Amino acid sequence: MRKTSFALALLTAAVLTACGGSGPSAGNQTPKTKFSNQITFGDSLSDVGTYAVGGVAALGGGQYTINGNNTSVSPELTGKNYTTLIAAQLGLPAPCAAQTGLQGTASAGFSVTVTDHPECFNYAQGGARVTNPIGPGNKALDKPGAVSLGQMTVPVVTQIANHLKKSGGKFKSDELVIVMAGGNDALEQLGELSAAATAAGGQALAQSLVTQLAPGTANPATGAAAIGAAIQAEAAKPTATPQSIITAAVTAAAQNGSTTAVANAAAIGTTAGAAATAAGNAYSAAHGPDLVKNMATAGAELGALVKNQILANGAGYVVVNNLPDVSISPSAKAQSADTQKLIAAMVDAFNSQLKTAVAGEAKVLYVDLATVSHDQATNPGPYGLTNTTDTACDLTPAKNPLGSSLVCNAKNLKSGDVSHYMFADAVHPTPFEYALIARYVLEQMTVKGWL
Amino acid sequence: MNVSKNVVKLLVAAGTLAIATGAAAQSKGQFTVSVGANMLKPDVTSGDISAPALPHSQGDVSKDTQPVMVINYGLTDNISLESAIGTPYKHKIYGAGAIAGTGQLGTVQALPAIALVQYRFFSPDSMIRPFVGLGVTYAMFQKERGSFAMTALTNPGGGTPTTFSIDNKWTYSGQVGLQVNVTPKWFLNASYIKTKLSTDVHFSTGQYQHMKLDPDSYILSVGYKF
Repeated sequence: MRKTSFALALLTAAVLTACGGSGPSAGNQTPKTKFSNQITFGDSLSDVGTYAVGGVAALGGGQYTINGNNTSVSPELTGKNYTTLIAAQLGLPAPCAAQTGLQGTASAGFSVTVTDHPECFNYAQGGARVTNPIGPGNKALDKPGAVSLGQMTVPVVTQIANHLKKSGGKFKSDELVIVMAGGNDALEQLGELSAAATAAGGQALAQSLVTQLAPGTANPATGAAAIGAAIQAEAAKPTATPQSIITAAVTAAAQNGSTTAVANAAAIGTTAGAAATAAGNAYSAAHGPDLVKNMATAGAELGALVKNQILANGAGYVVVNNLPDVSISPSAKAQSADTQKLIAAMVDAFNSQLKTAVAGEAKVLYVDLATVSHDQATNPGPYGLTNTTDTACDLTPAKNPLGSSLVCNAKNLKSGDVSHYMFADAVHPTPFEYALIARYVLEQMTVKGWL
Repeated sequence: MNVSKNVVKLLVAAGTLAIATGAAAQSKGQFTVSVGANMLKPDVTSGDISAPALPHSQGDVSKDTQPVMVINYGLTDNISLESAIGTPYKHKIYGAGAIAGTGQLGTVQALPAIALVQYRFFSPDSMIRPFVGLGVTYAMFQKERGSFAMTALTNPGGGTPTTFSIDNKWTYSGQVGLQVNVTPKWFLNASYIKTKLSTDVHFSTGQYQHMKLDPDSYILSVGYKF
């Protein structure tokens, strides 16, 4: 009996030796590589406040996300871009915009002197393309009469040149360089294609209306001229819609002696509308492949910039984020299935050229955000995303005068908990999604052996 | 420190007790103590780290070998009780699955306390005595240490390094072994212990991960019969 309790005592002793140990702690929080600086080239996805001035700042914006530190509302609403998170993780100062300003409408506060900031190394600008200086939001694309935001959209090629001017033509081998672009090359070209397709559709609409309506008028020759003039007059109005144009044409036909125009208006409109749609689609189908080709060119250009301007000038660590899958964005989802397919092909073309260009470069880390973003849209659960299709920001004109996350903050969010949404606006991530991007880039840097 | 002293006292007492019984071979009422090494090798089936994470972010755990002291007491000539004491096992935790290649993400110390009931074949004076055992194990984890990489993968730039803790668990173990009586007092002991062990890892980010560790334990020791 005594011996049995003795054995139990031994067991107890074995258990007790376990006591006195300490609990969890952080361990070594120093990265393997001590980077001296973080230099970023790119577009809105990496922009940390190029346009956070004047009217944009007054609207509580400046970055393309849910702006502001709203962690008191939700811990995810940090308002931070992935470049800010990576810099913080690497123990580097918070990145700041290398240039600030706006070149838009002064009365809206969108005309602010463009200023360079020599102490700042994030060159990324909303609207920037790879080599084309005219990106979305640039004053060169302003529509007459509309409020102009006037983004500078300095392209990546010039961003790099500006840095080299500042740094004596060299990168330091212990600097971390981040490159991410291509989105605006896609958006701008899609916008142009859409406008051209709409114009082609408009022409077909007018043609169809005249062809259908003129023969019924008292004098088909003058009738055709009158109908054509009515269509032109209506189409010039900012409020014009296909239906208003149809109505104007029918009215003109009736005024010129057509007795059947009004009665047959519905059928005539349907026929004309179908002709317009067909013409628009035909235009898109015919010119879509050009966009894919142009994106391939842009991808190759970005790859060449990485090699010839960044690596060749001494950079030792270059993170090249590819173009996320724009085809899953709310912007793309609002468009036809064919357009979505086109966007996917454009993204693929850009990325495959970019990837090929930097393949085999030991100092380049090619981060495949396209695959991750696509996976996030189809498999959001593990990422912690609660919504990958809607925008977190309320983009209605009353709430958001720019219809962009650039001026989105806690005050103009959609109601409910949007903290784990993927998108702030039609193309830009929420702070939570930016944090996921930061994690993935850092994960890839770790696998690469840099951290 | 007190604990260690107590252990020494107990061991000394054990010796005294064994001598008092005057047993010449390992048999009923006899204590044996053997000293050697134990390799503890987790046989990991990792669960996925919960959201937000790359899908199928998993972990792997390295093996470790530490000195061990195996204490045995004969309830009868064939049934014995066994326990072991030793220094903590230091395991490295690696990224696996979707985060394979991230390398060492953390370390943890494991302190498995075990108590086995054994059946020993043949008679106490046989040269070779195979045995089987079944017992309870209390797996304790301590000194869970994170890393730069763990923080980078879970809360980058948040200003708060990520820490984690692993749940301590009661579980059960099975054993097969062999004792070789080299002299009437000295013997060699070899045993293999399989422990069923599932536990949960909790991260300071609020994430968790289920881990089936099911460690294999390989013990080699040299012992003396008191």
